[in-house]
Amino acid sequence: MQVNDTNKNRRSHFALAIGCFLLQVMLSPNIGMEYGRINFAMIYAGVYALAVGGRRAVVAGFLSGLLCDALSTGPLGVMGCLFTIMCYALGLEERNRFSDGFVSSLSAFGVGAFLVFVFYHIALSMLGESASLIDILIRRVLPSFALTFVCFLPFAYYQVRKSVGMRGKHAGSKNAGLRENYYDIRNL
Amino acid sequence: MPTMPSMPTGHSRSSTSKLMRKETGGGAGLLTMVLVIISLVLFTFNVGETKGGLLTSVSGLVQTVVTPLRVAGAHIAAPFVGMTNVMRNLTADEKTLTELIEENEKLHARNVELEEAEVTARQLQELLDLRNSYNLQSSAAHVIAGSTDSWVSSVTLDKGSSSGFVVGMPVTDSSGAVGQVIACSATSSTVRLLTDEASSVAAMIQSTRAQGMLEGSPDGTMHLSFIRTDQTVNVGDIVVTSGLGGVFPKGLPLGKVSVVDRSPGSTYYSIVVDPYARVENLEEVLVITSLTEGQQATAEDIESSDAADREAASGVAESIEDDEAEEDEDTGSKIDGEADAGQENGEDAEAVEGYVSPYSTQGEEE
Repeated sequence: MQVNDTNKNRRSHFALAIGCFLLQVMLSPNIGMEYGRINFAMIYAGVYALAVGGRRAVVAGFLSGLLCDALSTGPLGVMGCLFTIMCYALGLEERNRFSDGFVSSLSAFGVGAFLVFVFYHIALSMLGESASLIDILIRRVLPSFALTFVCFLPFAYYQVRKSVGMRGKHAGSKNAGLRENYYDIRNL
Repeated sequence: MPTMPSMPTGHSRSSTSKLMRKETGGGAGLLTMVLVIISLVLFTFNVGETKGGLLTSVSGLVQTVVTPLRVAGAHIAAPFVGMTNVMRNLTADEKTLTELIEENEKLHARNVELEEAEVTARQLQELLDLRNSYNLQSSAAHVIAGSTDSWVSSVTLDKGSSSGFVVGMPVTDSSGAVGQVIACSATSSTVRLLTDEASSVAAMIQSTRAQGMLEGSPDGTMHLSFIRTDQTVNVGDIVVTSGLGGVFPKGLPLGKVSVVDRSPGSTYYSIVVDPYARVENLEEVLVITSLTEGQQATAEDIESSDAADREAASGVAESIEDDEAEEDEDTGSKIDGEADAGQENGEDAEAVEGYVSPYSTQGEEE
């Protein structure tokens, strides 16, 4: 449900997309731990799915995943598929889940990101990229997940602050509940 | 602020939201399935695709487009990469560090060795290029020592008569002629450099073909002599070997004219030449073992050189004659003076006849 889907929000999501794209291209290949790399495309997909959700989040996830595939040496479509599913799962409620709080949004993203990394590396190992499961888990999945999760923290913090601030504004005014219902219906 | 519409009273807020969510959520599910299928199709095609397929090309295109950003990113991230290394180094044990230090020393030495080899290879390649471009019959040699005394500007090569070297052979490096072999032992030979005071080589201005003699000097500069003042010489003109004398091949670069001086009444220019060859940094050289017919001066060159000498000599004779005539007029003894002048002119004419061409001298020297 899009409660605050104003032009300002669209602009901020667009800026987030550009920022994450630049970070993915410029920073991600150069900063790593073991074989792990920060996945800013996943961070963008996660933030968008948790903040907006719904069909748009699914499309955003699909496109981010495809871009991630195109920028990596892996086959095209794996990240696209996994990001699509992750965004669908995270955005299933179609509301701003950052308003549930910092820990809640972190745990939702953490589970989703970890599963995506596990399945992605298993898929690549099936294609012969790596033979050892321990190697996959210790040297690839966990470092990638840890780095991506740490980098997700400031994004999540910003989104939580933003959503709490907005809720506070509405709570402080008269007829806040009525106004929310009005926006809910208008945005259907 | 928009006017608030009247709200339906039969539904609560939460039940309305749930209803909406169910409708749109179904759409998202369907879309997800479609996109997942598309992803899997892409994946299947991409995996089965041979090199140069459509999807591989698309991926390659994306990689190409983002390459400038990646390069910029590498510069930006350089300090962070350094920090990662610092963290890794802090956790390294003593044994690893010792091994790394030893390996670093070995690699450092190896690196210096390889850099030297690269420089040598480049120099040899340049020599090879020179050899090919001038079609020189030559042999490469390595400079093993500089001048053994302070009087002769020379270098010593690591090859001698056992390699076919003989006294008189010209020596070049990649930038042009550097000197001539003056002594040969079985395993080494000494080369007198062009900058040596006793050195001389037949040379000409490349653009005007004015021929002269390039000589060394004690101060290390080179002077081009016997270029007549009625010929054109400019600063920056290139000086090459003329091939006269049959020692140096014709057309080898020698240097560039840096100073041109024309004294009043002088028959020849005073020309200073800046040599191309950096004789103080010589390492690898070519010793020219024989000349082909095309590398020697042609009959026309020799003829033009002789003609120039004759003109110069007659110019000198006329000048002397004029001076003597003026002298006689001043003294007033016309009859005696004429007789004296005739006698002296005869002596001068003998001197002119006995004038020796610098090239023949140079030929003898060479």
